[in-house]
Parts: sequence; structure tokens; C-alpha cells
Amino acid sequence: MRFEAIGTAWEIESDRPIESSTQSAIHHRIEEFDRAYSRFREDSLVSRIATTPGTAEFPPDAAELFELYRRLYDATGGAVSPLVGRSLETLGYDRAYSLRPTGPAMPAPSWDDSFAWDGSSLTTIRPVTVDVGAAGKGYLVDIIGRMLVAAGHEGFVIDASGDILRHGPDSIRVGLEHPWDATKAIGVANLGSGAICASAPNRRTWGEGLHHIIDATTGLPTSRVIATWAIADSALQADGLATALFFTEPHALRREFDFSYVRMFADQTVEFSPLLDGEMFV
Amino acid sequence: MRQLPTTATSLVLGGFALSAVLAGCSAAPESAGLEGPYTDGTYTETASYQSPNGTETIDVTVSLESDVITDVEVVGHGESADSKLHQGFFIDGIAAVVVGQDIDEISVSKVSGSSLTSGGFNKAIEAIKADAS
Repeated sequence: MRFEAIGTAWEIESDRPIESSTQSAIHHRIEEFDRAYSRFREDSLVSRIATTPGTAEFPPDAAELFELYRRLYDATGGAVSPLVGRSLETLGYDRAYSLRPTGPAMPAPSWDDSFAWDGSSLTTIRPVTVDVGAAGKGYLVDIIGRMLVAAGHEGFVIDASGDILRHGPDSIRVGLEHPWDATKAIGVANLGSGAICASAPNRRTWGEGLHHIIDATTGLPTSRVIATWAIADSALQADGLATALFFTEPHALRREFDFSYVRMFADQTVEFSPLLDGEMFV
Repeated sequence: MRQLPTTATSLVLGGFALSAVLAGCSAAPESAGLEGPYTDGTYTETASYQSPNGTETIDVTVSLESDVITDVEVVGHGESADSKLHQGFFIDGIAAVVVGQDIDEISVSKVSGSSLTSGGFNKAIEAIKADAS
């Protein structure tokens, strides 16, 4: 299956043909996700919360997403936060893609001041702009993976444009794209059953120092780390950790999560876990 | 205790074929398939290798925390200028400069990088470029 969804290109391959009923279930599930979490549509739940406080009922598996976010929020001292939407909009990454800053960088509000999550619904007392870009795609990839497994697929790869979940024996070689040159790779990771997610500002940069990977505590885009990769059992974790690696040292994240990683810096040096299954072109 | 995987060791230490064994491990070196977890701590070992100048020795100290190398320190005992040069490659630690390789030439099934953009974002970027020119 090849299609566009949630603002990017997807490719899903399986050892067996994917039945049309499974394909439509996948498209339907993605639409449900988009309707809840997209900042870019007026009819979404997060758009409603951004204007109207109150209690909003999220889809049932939102619990897993918000729980991971809370762990990342705590592990990164608030640098990774689902409340970073307003900060992104201030930099220009708003619903209309105006891509022009409207004011000085705005830190995100604190979690406990902003909302109460009871496991299925979110209660807010003032408008808050939720953005789940740090881990949401990985979460959706995992959900689709579970759907494929439930439909009997045992060998598949879901590639949501560089965030990849694989299920099956042996492993595949995944090139780690150079953030400054998409024709090149800085290394290769071997992926068995599990996920690898990448994060880099290169494709979503709209001005000098203006891009979408921001520290929620300051509202500012990062500059020291220029690309990250995380390999973990789930795409939700790999996606969230790839973001967290821009802000927090790997050994601090390793206290809380089990993963391997690669980080590249603006001076083109790279740092990576000794347990990484792969090779780096050093 | 087990040795660091050969790949990581050689990458960390600049490509020389050392078999640096973490202190306290008396078992024979294993193949390069690593299994953690490792006990946090600092491990020092002296390693010898053959160079064109003969046998050289270096002391390697590795700090591990939650299975991540947090520090590497290498003290070389090279005598000749060549030895000092090569041992200098070790001493800079684990941050190594990468050199990109053409994706076409490295046989990969997939590429992992930042996500492609689509539709609305692309149009907006084009508009900005048009304004700027």
C-alpha cells in the first residue's frame, strides 16, 4: 500500500497481499487518528480544545499515547510535551502554514497546570493547544501494526516516511539518511522485529533557525543536535525517544527506556549506543 | 562480564583490532553479538597491539551507565611519532565524524530520515521562497 496521510508519505509491505478489507480498515483508522489529533483541521478534537475548555473524550487507545508522553515529559524535564502546539504556532507552524513567527518564542504551559487526563478523557480549564508530533506518528504506526497482526500478517514493514515498524524473522538494513544530503547515509541500522524512528529538522525548516523540533520549556528550535534515530520495540517509543534525544542525554533516557540510538551534531560528529546493531560510516 | 562488540570497539577506538576486555572478566572473548545489561561502572584494561614499530600498549578506561558508554579515556604509551599519531585517534573518545556514503551503494531496503512533507506545507514553503526572491 502506498498513500499519503497525516502530512506525509506511507508505504506498507507485507509477505502476503493486504486484503482490501484490511486496507480500508487502515485508512479508516488513520482518519480517526487525524480527526482527533490534527492541528491542521478545524474539526479535530485538538482544535476544539484549543478554543473551548472542558472535557473531551479521546479514542480509547489515547491512554497509551498520553502515558508515553508523561514519561517523556518527566524524563526530559518538560522539553518534550504534548502542550507545545501554541509554541509551534508562534513560530509560524500553524494551521494555515503561515510559516512566519508572530512573536517571541513562547514556552509551553506546564502539564499539571493545563490538563487532567483520567485515562480516557482530557479536562482543560483554559484553552490549550495539543500537538502530538513528537510521538503521534509512531503511535499510529503501532496501531496499524496490530491491525496487520490481527489480520494474520506475520511479515510486514510499515514505513511512515522514515519511521519504520517491522515484524518478521531475520532483519533488514536501514540506511540512516544524512540530514544535509538526502542522497547519502551516515550509517546503517539492522532492524529485526521492532521500530526505528528518525527525527531531523531539515525538511521542516522555514527560515534561519526556524524549524519544528522545539524545546517546550523555551519554545525555541534546537540547534546542537541535527539528527537522531532511536530503535526500540515499539514505534511509539522510538518516535518519542528520537525527539527526546534532541534535548536529553541518552544515558538519562536509558534509565527509563530500553532503546539504542544515534545522534548527529552540527559539527558532523556522531554518537551512538554501543548496543547498536549496525554500522556507522566514521 | 563480556567484551564490547568488536564493531563498537573498533569504531570507538579508531579501527585498530584491539581486544580490550573489561576488567573482571576472565572468560574468553565472545563473538560480536552483544547482550547487555552491563553493570554500571568504570573499567580499565591495558591492551597491547602490534604496530610497524613493534608492540605498543595503551590503557583504556571505559565508563558505562545503563549500558551506554558515557566516557572513554585512553592513555597511550607510544614512543615514536607514528605511535603518538595513531594513538591520538583513540584519545578523542567516541564522538567520531561521519562521512556520508551514497545510499545507492550501500544496499539498504529502507531509509530512515525526517519525514517527507506534503501538500499544505510544500505550498507554503514555495510561497516563502517566491517572496524571498
